[in-house]
Amino acid sequence: MSDALLDIRGLTAGYGDVPVLTDIALTVGAGEIVALVGSNGAGKTTLLRAVSRIIKASGSLRFLGEDVLPLTPEALFARGLVQVPEGRQLFGRMTVAENLMMGAYRRRDRAGIDASLAQTFDLFPVLAERRAQTAGSLSGGEQQMCAIGRALMAAPKLLMIDEMSLGLAPIVVDRLLDVLVAIRGQGVPILMVEQDVFAALAVADRGYVLEHGRIVKAATAETLKSDPALQKAYLGSDS
Amino acid sequence: MNGRWFALAAAVALLAGVPWFGNAVLIQFGINALLIAVLAQSWNILGGFAGYVSFGNSVFYGLGSYGVAIAMAQWNLPFWVGLIFAATIAVAFAALLGWPILRLRGPYFAIVTLGISAAMSALASNLDIAGKNVGLILPLTRNDTLFYEASLVLLAAATLTVAWIARSRFGMALIAIREDEDAAASVGVNATRFKIAALAMAAFFTAIAGGIHAYWITYIDPAGSFDTTLDVRMVIMTMFGGPGTVLGPVVGALVLSAIYEVLADSISKAAALFFGIVILVAVIFLPRGLVDLGGGFRVLRWRYFLTNIRQYRI
Repeated sequence: MSDALLDIRGLTAGYGDVPVLTDIALTVGAGEIVALVGSNGAGKTTLLRAVSRIIKASGSLRFLGEDVLPLTPEALFARGLVQVPEGRQLFGRMTVAENLMMGAYRRRDRAGIDASLAQTFDLFPVLAERRAQTAGSLSGGEQQMCAIGRALMAAPKLLMIDEMSLGLAPIVVDRLLDVLVAIRGQGVPILMVEQDVFAALAVADRGYVLEHGRIVKAATAETLKSDPALQKAYLGSDS
Repeated sequence: MNGRWFALAAAVALLAGVPWFGNAVLIQFGINALLIAVLAQSWNILGGFAGYVSFGNSVFYGLGSYGVAIAMAQWNLPFWVGLIFAATIAVAFAALLGWPILRLRGPYFAIVTLGISAAMSALASNLDIAGKNVGLILPLTRNDTLFYEASLVLLAAATLTVAWIARSRFGMALIAIREDEDAAASVGVNATRFKIAALAMAAFFTAIAGGIHAYWITYIDPAGSFDTTLDVRMVIMTMFGGPGTVLGPVVGALVLSAIYEVLADSISKAAALFFGIVILVAVIFLPRGLVDLGGGFRVLRWRYFLTNIRQYRI
């Protein structure tokens, strides 16, 4: 597993003295889509916050082979670990184009930025159509596209997406999942955190199930999809 | 666009010409109005662009007044050295102050800024070098034209700076912070650093305005220099003209200063009341400021006001 982009071992994190996460082990390799699933309050968002170095954590956290535990969120961002935050968090009164350009705020390579923009408009043609509109006037699905597009503008080496499907119609979620596969095809691996377990597993290569702050299952998406316990817990079926 | 530049150049020329065609009262009114416009424009950098409402910018005005007064009255230095001294102190104070308090967000930041000027006033009252309660007397220079033109140049410099901010990467970062600070952080914007820079720029122009004012009136004391009513006025004037715009704070400050002057002249005692009504009407009908009126009214006519009321649910 030493070739993993993101390599988490024995990670413990939480708020104050209360650990929310204990002994987390998780890896994301090149060209992978990895799903982290679990119910409300399992600690999914806490794990993302620990990985992006917003909250204290102990254990081992390596990104591109480097120990990133002592780094600040900005330093980690600069190394290519880019997050699409839960609830989109767009700049509401800025235009779509300005939102996308904010994603490239820390970049200086004019040609590279133009290429990323063309690539983003290629993935989300609707963003090109609406580039002069304010982000606040977009539909929920378009806003999520804009948020993912903004993250892509930062030229990520690993994309972390928090609750992408939240509040979106299933048909929109399906469309976004297709885009994630396309993004992976362009060489950007993805760690997605989802409550919608089966949507996530539909496109993921591997999955981790988080319960009460611990990883209780780690397997390929195929195995997890047919796991009876998981089906019972998240679909309510007794099959 | 050419027409707008022409109108702007004409307005600047008209303002610059006031000392040659105006009387002494108009020139003195002009100095006060231009200086308060500098305060509003400075406040606009952090308040209008980054959305951080400060009620403590008058502290930089006071520091500027005292900086110039101490340099000139205590150390016999020339005015321009006093200005450099004053601006340096204010910018350093802004950086020191900003480091802890600009980590606070929204209303918490506003609350913390409330007490700063009062605290500095108390400090000045107890410092020998600041003349304690008595204050300081500066060398007398009777040349209102000079003070007027200096104030105008300062306002122009502040406005050009804001015009640069509005089109720069720096300004984009401030606007991003205003729209969503967490999101700004998620694209790698170090919000605290940008906010401190914005506050320091505001402190620079505000302090020079205070310095010019001190030299002009030749006498300063703690209560008059660290004047917390200035804080309310610069906020109201920026909001009235249009926060986060280049010309809004200037238009707001000049128009409100004129309205207040006319009211105070004609109905004296009731002036404050009518001033309040003008601001109330502005908040209801022009929530995006006076500078938004031109474009909005052309498109929507009278429905512009109705749209504003509906949009902001007042």
